[in-house]
Amino acid sequence: MSDAGPAAARRAERLLRCYPAGWRERYGEEFAELLMDDIGERPRSWVRTADVVRSGTLARLAATGLAGQTLEPERQLRAGLAWLGAATTAFLALGVAIWSELTIGWQWSPPATPATRVAMLLMSAAILIFAILALLAAIPIAWSLGTAVARGRERRLLAPLALAMAAAAAFTLGSIHFGHGWPGTGGHQWVERGLVPGDVARFCWAATLWVTSYWAHPGALSSFPATEIGWMVVSPLTLAAMAVGATMILRRTPLSPRVLRYESRLGAAAVLAMAVFLAGAGSWVISGGPAPRGLFRVGAIDSVGVVALAAELMLAVRALQRALPAAARHRP
Amino acid sequence: MSRYILPLVPEARSSTPDELEALATFGRYAGPATLILSSLAEGAKHGYALTKDIEGFAGVRLAPGTLYEALSRLERQGLIEPLESHDRRRPYQLTATGATVLRAHLDAQRRVADVGLRRLAGRSELA
Repeated sequence: MSDAGPAAARRAERLLRCYPAGWRERYGEEFAELLMDDIGERPRSWVRTADVVRSGTLARLAATGLAGQTLEPERQLRAGLAWLGAATTAFLALGVAIWSELTIGWQWSPPATPATRVAMLLMSAAILIFAILALLAAIPIAWSLGTAVARGRERRLLAPLALAMAAAAAFTLGSIHFGHGWPGTGGHQWVERGLVPGDVARFCWAATLWVTSYWAHPGALSSFPATEIGWMVVSPLTLAAMAVGATMILRRTPLSPRVLRYESRLGAAAVLAMAVFLAGAGSWVISGGPAPRGLFRVGAIDSVGVVALAAELMLAVRALQRALPAAARHRP
Repeated sequence: MSRYILPLVPEARSSTPDELEALATFGRYAGPATLILSSLAEGAKHGYALTKDIEGFAGVRLAPGTLYEALSRLERQGLIEPLESHDRRRPYQLTATGATVLRAHLDAQRRVADVGLRRLAGRSELA
């Protein structure tokens, strides 16, 4: 033990908490000694504190697979895919909210500006690609999951599976119910005249009802039916529960290196689809006009939304940068 | 930056794959890594002894977080290894691979330094 005293030991212990548990287990004791020696020599140093906080944050990011190369290739790959999945889910939650408003607008009247029309086509193509990629990604995971559960192994998969399925059921049923509940999303004669089928448009609208600037206007929000406000609170929770369940399944399901490499290639395609969607949304926000009848009007929340989409795309790119090299190194 | 180090290092042509990988990732973190490996070239040291030694010969004080970030990376790359801990302080020593990589890196740095100094000397003669 260093001679620096109990006060230095307490401060070293506090600084040590910046690091993740695995790191503390390996380096904690010797690092605490170094900190106590350093504190003994220089009792106050904001440079030391900032350095430890920075280094601890990096170690925590490394433990989740977003920085450094501390994980084994398979763990790194699974962590990268999980982050990619989370970034894609967040991207889609916001992106679909923007897109569904525009698709419903198109049911009432086609966009008057070419920029909005091109933007809608780009975003719709990206959504279609996302749906295909999700299906392709789910097939081998569902197969491995089903095999593991059927053989009675991997009992730790049952809880996340139940969570994901219950959340998906609540999310789907709620979205269908509330999609039918508003006349603007389907109760008019032009419902099949838009770019996408009316059922798809209103489902997506209801699924992303919670992404709204009404949260900043409680007076206007209070005029909504209580059930609708309830759904706006519950739906993001069900979405988060689905994401958590899916991430746990991805981490725990036995998957061969070949399947993991396949999933990482689909992840790369998903990032490209995100870029296409962002190009569409960005061109609408920059060039889109209010015509006709304000259906395609760009609001402040849309501009903020596009910035958030760009941030989520950057996170997805970062996760992919972590996953792809690990996929190349992960061999049977 | 790291990808440009290999062509400068003649020893790399006869190195093992592990050594090549270590060399390839060395350049990006060359600052603290060179200081730590140079300090350990004298013998095994624990964290605080490393800090004081480096401060003494390079005039640079590595902050604790930076020091352990580099130590864990060098250990992962197999350039250093931990010894039995003494009174909670764990000493580290240079491995054979670490010595090879350090020598190659310092030779490359010396060649660059020689060229720079020679050119600076020629410049002062012109002036």
